[in-house]
Amino acid sequence: MPSVSHSLSADLRSLPRFALVSEALNKSYGRGKQRFEAVRDVSLKIAPGEVLAFLGPNGAGKTTTIKMIAGLIRPDAGKVEIAGKDPHRNPQALQGVGAVLEGNRNLYWRLTPLENLEYFGVLRQMPRKLAKSRGMDLLKTFGLVERRNVAVQKLSRGMQQKIAIAVALIHQPHLLLLDEPTLGLDVEAGETVKQLVRQVAESGCAILLTTHQLSVAESLSDRVAIIREGRIITEQPTQALIRQFSKDAGYYIEIEGRLDTSRREAIASLGATVGDSYISYYPEAAASDSDKRLASATLYKILSILDPLPIVEIRQERANLTDIFLQLVKQ
Amino acid sequence: MIDLFIGEFKRTWVQTLRYPSEVIGGVVILTAVFYGIFVGAQYMTGSSGGAFGDRLDAIVVGYVIWTLVVYIVNDIATNLQMEARTGTLEQVFLSPFGAPKVFLARAIASLTLRLLLILAVLAIIIAMTGSQIAFPPMLLLPLITLLLSAYGLAFFIGSFALVLKKVQQVLSMFQFVLFFLLATPTEDWTGPARLVANVLPILPSTGLLRDLMARNQSLDWDRWAIALLNGVIYFTIGTLLFRWAEGQAKRQGTLGSY
Ligand SMILES: Nc1ncnc2c1ncn2[C@@H]1O[C@H](COP(=O)(O)OP(=O)(O)OP(=O)(O)O)[C@@H](O)[C@H]1O
Ligand SMILES: [Mg+2]
Repeated sequence: MPSVSHSLSADLRSLPRFALVSEALNKSYGRGKQRFEAVRDVSLKIAPGEVLAFLGPNGAGKTTTIKMIAGLIRPDAGKVEIAGKDPHRNPQALQGVGAVLEGNRNLYWRLTPLENLEYFGVLRQMPRKLAKSRGMDLLKTFGLVERRNVAVQKLSRGMQQKIAIAVALIHQPHLLLLDEPTLGLDVEAGETVKQLVRQVAESGCAILLTTHQLSVAESLSDRVAIIREGRIITEQPTQALIRQFSKDAGYYIEIEGRLDTSRREAIASLGATVGDSYISYYPEAAASDSDKRLASATLYKILSILDPLPIVEIRQERANLTDIFLQLVKQ
Repeated sequence: MIDLFIGEFKRTWVQTLRYPSEVIGGVVILTAVFYGIFVGAQYMTGSSGGAFGDRLDAIVVGYVIWTLVVYIVNDIATNLQMEARTGTLEQVFLSPFGAPKVFLARAIASLTLRLLLILAVLAIIIAMTGSQIAFPPMLLLPLITLLLSAYGLAFFIGSFALVLKKVQQVLSMFQFVLFFLLATPTEDWTGPARLVANVLPILPSTGLLRDLMARNQSLDWDRWAIALLNGVIYFTIGTLLFRWAEGQAKRQGTLGSY
């Protein structure tokens, strides 16, 4: 159908390059001697469909930044643009924004999940009927259909959090702000939320996510920004950051049973560390391609010495986000 | 905008009626307090029955106005505090409608509910005391000016709730001041006292309502013009202050704190 392709291309053209642009945001609290710079020169951009993990220790300024983006805290300087509009000047900018804010339940306790979804849909300028039917869909996705008519105050903390996330999604936002969305969720609910975040991102929504669970950030994010004492100290694609910190990573091989003495000596002479039933090999920091080739040649030599012993595990030791985070934040 | 209004209406009703015992308790307390005042007034004036008639009607009208105004003035401030505590306040400020529209829709929704409740209390009081207050259609005019002025005050105190967070003492003090002002027949004041009564919030409208409902007088248009001016001015001041308070809370970063 020609109309479909037409509407698609129109969509592509109207899709902004960035769902969120914030530039040089600054915020101080208090006056005089009490004055405290909570956020300094923070600039963040997120493209449609991208997940940005915004990480930092307690009090680093994450929540302050998110609330400045949402128009809830006025920045001292800097600007925010959501789909080209400034939420501090024009409330319409908030039309495409969904948010789950920190520590709050964000819900009316006396209302049921469905009533909450319907109300917040209307508050986000949806037609009431649509809000209700989309609310039902979301309850299905979150496995809360049976609880739809129970007052929210009687639900568990984790269920309340799931509903808060559903409420943030009711109007199909283009920008989703999630301040610690997996706090207080059990393992399964945490996984549901992770999956959902992925789905929402795939549908083209830009997501800004803060969390202290770095494994969540590692598995969800396309990019990471780390903030410390109000300043962004690193901003990179997640995988590039991990690769950068994994450069001089080694290999770990574990075999079944114990290594005999001759094999031990042969492997140790290649420069690896040998234990009873494991070997770890750290090549010299690979500066060039020939260094890399040398390192993997050595690895194959070790493997041929081990042949035909049964191998339990073999892996490259990669840095994970937790190690990287701790290193960066301590500096 | 219509959907927003219906949405607010539904939210307010469901939240209120989810616990019917609270609603019934409210009616009982309102009626009981009135009965106390009624018996006390009878005792102090030493009269009962016939001669007490007009006075009784004036007291009934004054009492009903008092409960209505106290409710309106409390409504915005206490809801702001409660919603800050449960975390919904920031979500409300995330609405693309903008806070003023949302709070206006809320005010209308909760007022409708309250008026119904007050009518119920009024019916009980009338049945109990045999009061003979009148309901001429004209009473809508001073009622509107009363509401304007009361909402002006409500937004005024709501502004303090947004910025200072603690307004409980202010609210209870206000209840007493208002109680004594309504117990005084300020509409009979003359000279400089008259001027003061015209400038104070709500009072010009309450005098008119008492005249219409308890004393069977017709509407005094000059006094209504004063009441209208009074209402419009208080409403404007209240809403302007509220906008300022919203900005102030956003500058302090305390919109959602309590
Ligand atoms: N309204 C406020 N008034 C004064 N200081 C504040 C206010 N809000 C936050 N702060 C201070 O600003 C700093 C940054 O706070 P923020 O809540 O943004 O940190 P965060 O990165 O979200 O921390 P967490 O990981 O603990 O949630 C903190 O030192 C905090 O004490
Ligand atoms: Mg925080």
